Amino acid sequence: MKLKQFYRLLLFIVLMPFLSSCFEVIEEIAMKNDGTGDVALTINLSQSKTKLASVMLLDSVQGYKVPSKQKIQQELNEAVVYLKKSEGISNVKSTSDFNNYIATISFSFKDVSNINNITKNILALQKIKATNTSSYTYNKATKTFNRKYQAIGTAKTEFNKLKAKDKAVFNGATYTSIYRFESVVTSSTNPASNVSKSKKAVMLKSNIMDLINGKINVSNSIQLSK
Amino acid sequence: MKKILIVISLFLSFNLAKAQDLVKKIPANAFTVATIKGDNIFKLMFVKDFNESFLGKKLLTETSKSLDKSFTSIEDFGINLEKNMYYFNQLSDSITYNCFLIPIKDATKLESLINNKENKFKRDGDVRTMILPDSTSIIKWNNNMMYFVTGSISSSFFADSAKSARYGIKDIRFQNDDDLAIDSTVAVAVDSVAVAEPMIEEIPAPPIVKVKVQKKSTTKKNTKRTIGTKKTGKKKTAKKVKIDSDFEESREPREFAVDTASAMTPVHGIVDERYDAYQQERAEQDAKKKRLAFTWMTAQADQIFNGSYESIENNKSYTSSLDNKAIAELWVSSLQDVYNAISPEFGTYGKAGLMKGYGSLNAKLFMDNKSFRISTGLELSQEQADSYKKILNRKLNKNFLKYVNSEKALGFMSYSIDTKAYLEEFPKLLKQTYGSFLGAKMDQEIDLGAELFSLLLDEEAVSKVIKGDALFVINGLNTKDVTYTTYEYDDDYKQKEIVKTKKETLPDFLFMFSSEDTRLINKLIKYGVNKNYVSVENNIYKILEKKSPIDIYFMIKDGIVFFGNSLTEMQGISNNQYNSNKLSKLHKQLLSKNNFSFLFNAKNLVGKVPDSEIGGEETAKKFNSTLEKMGNVYMKSNPIKGRLVSADISAEIPNGHENALKYLFSLIENAAK
Repeated sequence: MKLKQFYRLLLFIVLMPFLSSCFEVIEEIAMKNDGTGDVALTINLSQSKTKLASVMLLDSVQGYKVPSKQKIQQELNEAVVYLKKSEGISNVKSTSDFNNYIATISFSFKDVSNINNITKNILALQKIKATNTSSYTYNKATKTFNRKYQAIGTAKTEFNKLKAKDKAVFNGATYTSIYRFESVVTSSTNPASNVSKSKKAVMLKSNIMDLINGKINVSNSIQLSK
Repeated sequence: MKKILIVISLFLSFNLAKAQDLVKKIPANAFTVATIKGDNIFKLMFVKDFNESFLGKKLLTETSKSLDKSFTSIEDFGINLEKNMYYFNQLSDSITYNCFLIPIKDATKLESLINNKENKFKRDGDVRTMILPDSTSIIKWNNNMMYFVTGSISSSFFADSAKSARYGIKDIRFQNDDDLAIDSTVAVAVDSVAVAEPMIEEIPAPPIVKVKVQKKSTTKKNTKRTIGTKKTGKKKTAKKVKIDSDFEESREPREFAVDTASAMTPVHGIVDERYDAYQQERAEQDAKKKRLAFTWMTAQADQIFNGSYESIENNKSYTSSLDNKAIAELWVSSLQDVYNAISPEFGTYGKAGLMKGYGSLNAKLFMDNKSFRISTGLELSQEQADSYKKILNRKLNKNFLKYVNSEKALGFMSYSIDTKAYLEEFPKLLKQTYGSFLGAKMDQEIDLGAELFSLLLDEEAVSKVIKGDALFVINGLNTKDVTYTTYEYDDDYKQKEIVKTKKETLPDFLFMFSSEDTRLINKLIKYGVNKNYVSVENNIYKILEKKSPIDIYFMIKDGIVFFGNSLTEMQGISNNQYNSNKLSKLHKQLLSKNNFSFLFNAKNLVGKVPDSEIGGEETAKKFNSTLEKMGNVYMKSNPIKGRLVSADISAEIPNGHENALKYLFSLIENAAK
């Protein structure tokens, strides 16, 4: 038996059933008063790294094909290329760390509405249908920042179609959004959101399961002092 | 004197009761026989308990509802629950019969169950017959037994126009006028021949595929009349099926009309019209096939009820597969014969003889106060059995047993074969199994290949490097700290990357195999060390594989090559400090007596995995309670007996349950809640 086959057999029998999977998605938007700003997206799968290291040695797991490191890197690069071509987007950077399984993309925008549909289009590029509609607006005159989020009804039904084993992947997953401003926040409508001590940042932490199930809505309207 | 008479009559009646077992009614050429042993089942669970069980209640209420009657006990169905129920099938090139034989206690109860307004049964003396709607199955019964038969015509048989023409059936295909024309002439020609011959009234049954029946020497002569297994002239008599005369007469003119019509339609005529004609024609042919199947089925059912024929009881392979204690049994006459029978369906791929050397197959289910057990067996040809005996002539290295800790072990798997014998016998086995698949023309090439194989491999030398026995054991779980990256946010929600640690529980595994000659392995290791694939410390080697999520160590000691992921375990083995003598009796038996064994002990896993890793407290609770309910599950191969290879799978039931059947019912009830 080849060493690789031996590993595979071992992983299948021994490791896979024991390892949990957890991941974090973090979205950070820094808004300037003039309406420009920066975005940083982070996907951190570090908590599941033992499992991922195991999974990466397999061809497929639970019926899904496991992408190679090269393939993941390539897709990340494609996303960067797409972003660079997008209107109002500049300064696109990406990092990937395959030891800790963390990937980031950051870029600057002229207007926050530039980023609307970007996620959707990037997902579409990978032939994944977006499960929500999300849009950002910033009104310079009134100094209000709005995020509208609407979970698509089918997301939940699609999710429920998944096998229990596959659903479990989302069990410990979290989504964090941080909005940062130059001015002081006077109000934030989403009750689940918190305003920082300096009153210049708003954070919302939620469980991805709750998002999918529609238990939590990340829509928010933030009023800045004039 | 009177007493003696009573005893004798009692004895006789007992024997008579025994003799009434319906197995007598199963023809010797049955392909598959499945038995459900009522008496053994209801020894484990009283009928009353069954009626009150979740499953029993469901069955009773559902049948009550659908038949608009009220049943309170399964005895209300009129079935004799203390006797064996049988399923068997008979295969031929043209029809397959699926048959059930059910012992009856109270025929009136049964009648009230199956009789309804649309479906009246006919009575002929003691025997009652009911034909199910659509004439696809027949039920026949008397006061002691019920027989259900359903037949399905083999489409591949009737696809052969020469064969189907004998029964006045044509194989028709759409948009194939030429074929139609030819088919009809063939049909007519053969029909006229058939009519000219005297009608055979006697046995309107199709030929049943010949099955080699090993007769017991005690077989009585008068039971030798068979239903079409007569080895001489069998096919001839059987093929001349008597078809209802009105059916025969009415067919010819009608058929002609359709044919001429379709023949006269111009080639470029309206497709729809032709399609309709085709559809009609097809429906007619299907109806004919159905009638033929029905005629055959009727004859077969009559035969079972009234005919005398050789019973499966005279089939040695069948009788030797039986076990008094089993609660259900399955027997398949011969894999080789099954394969040959169905291979025409595979077309050109189904070369006969692929399963050469594989005989009957049997499976038995046992349930007792300790466990469920499924025992399976496969008969081999003498040649094959001899090969396997040589291959399996090795026991597991006794020194392996030191490294199994029954108190902690989650499971193990072991096997032992004689590598030398395996390498020597392998080409032979390959030739036997696949030789005919490649065709007789390839015989020489296969021989040549086998010779080359032996020439290239020094079986003796290989068997010294890898003797052929191996053990894989998981001796418990180990927790290790794993670091991961996450984020912290300050008062201003500024992100800061931090490193946290968490505990990960992983099983400690140990894999070992025997090797007399470790020179080659040593060379490999040396190569690995030189190329930096392997590092070494105190004779313990570590595989330097960056991608691997776990560390793997290996070493060679006392003619055993060890692999494992726990350095402490490896060090213990190396220093002779590995705590042995913790092997339970069951584990020892499994490992040392069988060529193959597998065991999973769920109980040793209970509470060992931290809740957080299973996905929260609730899931962990469920997980642990499921594991707690599981006893040992194990598999083993048995030594070859005669020409029979066999293996057992057992699952122990947890304490506090009377027997496996009751436990099964409680599981079903819990699952349904």
